[in-house]
Amino acid sequence: MLNIVFYFQVHQPYRLRHFNVLDIGSNSQIFDEKLNAQVMRKVADKCYLPTNKLLLDLIKEQEGRFKISYAITGTAIEQFKLYSPETLDSFKALVDTGCVELIGETYFHSLAFLYDSNEFLDQVGMHRDLMQKEFGYYTETFRNTELIYQDRLSDIVYEIEGFKTILTEGVDRILQWRSPLYSYKNYSKSINLLLKYYQLADDIAFRFSNRDWPEYPLTVDKFVNWIDHLTLGEKDNRNQFLNLFMDYETFGEHQWASSGIFDFMRHFPSEVLKRDHLGFATPKEVAKYSNYQQESLSFPEPVSWADEERDLSAWLENDMQHNAIETLYELFGRIKQKGDPELLRIARMLSTSDHFYYMCAKYFQDGDVHKYFSPYDSPDQAYIYFINALAELEERLLR
Amino acid sequence: MKVLMFTWEFPPLISGGLGMACYGMVKALLAQGIKIDLVLPTKELVYFPLREESDVDTLPTVFFDPTLHTEYIQKRFTSLQERLEYIGITSRPESYFQLDEIKRHSFEVKREFIDTEITSIEEQELWNEVTTHLIGDEDLIRKVQEFTLRAERIAKTLQYDLIHAHDWLTYPSGMLARKISGKPLLVHIHATEFDRAGGPGDERVHKIEHAGMTYADKVIAVSKYTAQMIMSRYRIDTGKIRIVHNAFSLPERDLENPQRIFKGPVILFLGRITLQKGPDYFLDMAQRVLENHPEARFIMAGTGDMSRKMLRSSAAMKLKNRFLFTGFLNRHQVETVLQASDIYVLPSISEPFGISPLEAMAYGITSIISKQSGVAEVVHHAFKIDFWDIDLWVETISHLIENPEKCRKIGLEGMHEVQRIQWGEAAEKIRLLYSATLAEYIRQHQ
Repeated sequence: MLNIVFYFQVHQPYRLRHFNVLDIGSNSQIFDEKLNAQVMRKVADKCYLPTNKLLLDLIKEQEGRFKISYAITGTAIEQFKLYSPETLDSFKALVDTGCVELIGETYFHSLAFLYDSNEFLDQVGMHRDLMQKEFGYYTETFRNTELIYQDRLSDIVYEIEGFKTILTEGVDRILQWRSPLYSYKNYSKSINLLLKYYQLADDIAFRFSNRDWPEYPLTVDKFVNWIDHLTLGEKDNRNQFLNLFMDYETFGEHQWASSGIFDFMRHFPSEVLKRDHLGFATPKEVAKYSNYQQESLSFPEPVSWADEERDLSAWLENDMQHNAIETLYELFGRIKQKGDPELLRIARMLSTSDHFYYMCAKYFQDGDVHKYFSPYDSPDQAYIYFINALAELEERLLR
Repeated sequence: MKVLMFTWEFPPLISGGLGMACYGMVKALLAQGIKIDLVLPTKELVYFPLREESDVDTLPTVFFDPTLHTEYIQKRFTSLQERLEYIGITSRPESYFQLDEIKRHSFEVKREFIDTEITSIEEQELWNEVTTHLIGDEDLIRKVQEFTLRAERIAKTLQYDLIHAHDWLTYPSGMLARKISGKPLLVHIHATEFDRAGGPGDERVHKIEHAGMTYADKVIAVSKYTAQMIMSRYRIDTGKIRIVHNAFSLPERDLENPQRIFKGPVILFLGRITLQKGPDYFLDMAQRVLENHPEARFIMAGTGDMSRKMLRSSAAMKLKNRFLFTGFLNRHQVETVLQASDIYVLPSISEPFGISPLEAMAYGITSIISKQSGVAEVVHHAFKIDFWDIDLWVETISHLIENPEKCRKIGLEGMHEVQRIQWGEAAEKIRLLYSATLAEYIRQHQ
């Protein structure tokens, strides 16, 4: 049996205003409320609302056989409440079907794991509380920001009660000859790992509307056929997991409705379920379905799902990114010492990984992706506004 | 006495110190009864007949084409800005620095005319310097060409006693006007190509600068520093060089209520972020001062060809959120950032004059200025340090941070000092020079 595991990342950052040196000390807004509202409403119209409706219909149609999972960040939930409450309601309706798993992560979609373990644990706790409060859901699977993972993360997550599985990228340099279609254990065999099958996941997320791609257009028949072929290699009846992890904004936002992405999704589950040896599962069901001794995998260095490199270089490569994030985490310590909740909240909003992504100055293909997602003209501008915001935060701290 | 004046910058058409200096100088000259017909690189072919002090702000305008002028005077403008836009002074002029590639492009300021009218071999050589070097495809060179072509018509149409041209961009025009009218030419050196480039710079510009200064009857240098540069690098006849230090116009400022931005001490760099101004020295001193004074903030205000490099370097040096960039600042924003600063530094590699330290001092900010500057000759209540002596810069800044009372006191003394450096005195020198040059001219033509 091959289980298709859909996991969608739902995230919106608080984008910074064009915050200049002369704005420092004037108590003016650091975040761009207008832009954030605009983006949220746009993405809700193009993606969240239509996709949620479609998936809700499919779940009902398939009577429990179609399942999906989400990681919804705290900053996204907050902005649903502010700018698109109907989006939050539609997610609640999905969770209420019982066919949706919610996945735990850092509330602010931050890189705290790499810089400040205590802050990381705080943000994970905040997110779990939020899921409990908004959806009445207790999270059992963990996914770090942008699938960033290394051995050390599994140690920390294992210490948090309740997490049994972690999602990450199926990086070739770690897997080598192994297949991402099986479930694994972390290096200390204490927690399950599910690895993204990036070839097929990216066919939907990145290549779906690319007319230069030889496989264009991607039809449901073709895609399900490929999946079917994946099962041929398995002779011992071991359960396989095809982990299709992607940004939720793939639907309608990155791949526009006109590309046919919604029609694809509408027909995909029924085509899959025509076959007895194919099905859907959510990450927390993995332990139950793993009918074999899971091999353990070691990730000595951090991996992620970003860019060709699948490492941290999208956020932490150049000097601007390093200086910005180090300055931020140094401030965290001082803010916590002072115990000012308002400043702590701002620091956390600034800890969202997107801010560092905007400062990425890598060129070629990936640079283009960064540019597409950035609200600023250049990485330098993004850096200047961020550093100014940190100066503002520090001035408020000294007050 | 009426002067035909060519300049590339004049408020609101301004990118740097040249425009501010011309404004202060012209205003003070008008106050002393000099009449000035001002020519700027405007889109429309116009000149500005300035007769009263207040004209520097209103810029009364005359179109050379009578039909256009009739249209212009019949037009109703709701604001000064709208009127100036109509004339074609909308944006800042490009900064006129470093011309890179030399591409051949024919330049013809009535070659035949010049060739037939040339009276001596020396004169022939000077014109050759201009005509063979004012070539190139760059936007700026094209603009200078066009400006020069217009000068012919201007020089023939207007009545004037003297010609006064500011910096190399207008030297070809000044030369042409002198050639046509036979009136004496004064060229004013605000900066040479050596200052701007922080090295040899563009050969074409040197040649034009040399030709302009040699052809002129008098050369005005903004400082001793510049005068020495002119003598040693351009070999200009010492007898015709005069030094007139720049002054500045006291800004309207609210000293009672300075708006601070930061609680800690603020050290300011304000100017184009380009090699000449020594921004990299500022970065180095920031790094070293911050080691002992992490409470300080360094602000780099302005833009320039080295902005990105400075930004990336400040990040690489891990200067955290202690080294900040403002980007381009308008007039009002400059005042705001000045009010928020404690120490002003000008680490220029070569600064013919440098008005902005005077302005900083007018705000009571303690200034530390490069010894390689003209402004160092006129102020006493400021620290003067060789631009390369980083140790001393660091020591001085640290000392001022550690002794805020002393810093304030020096700032106040500096403020009182610069209040006395007004354009009236400088304009008086220029007026006397005009008279002397004219007297000489009349004597020679009797």
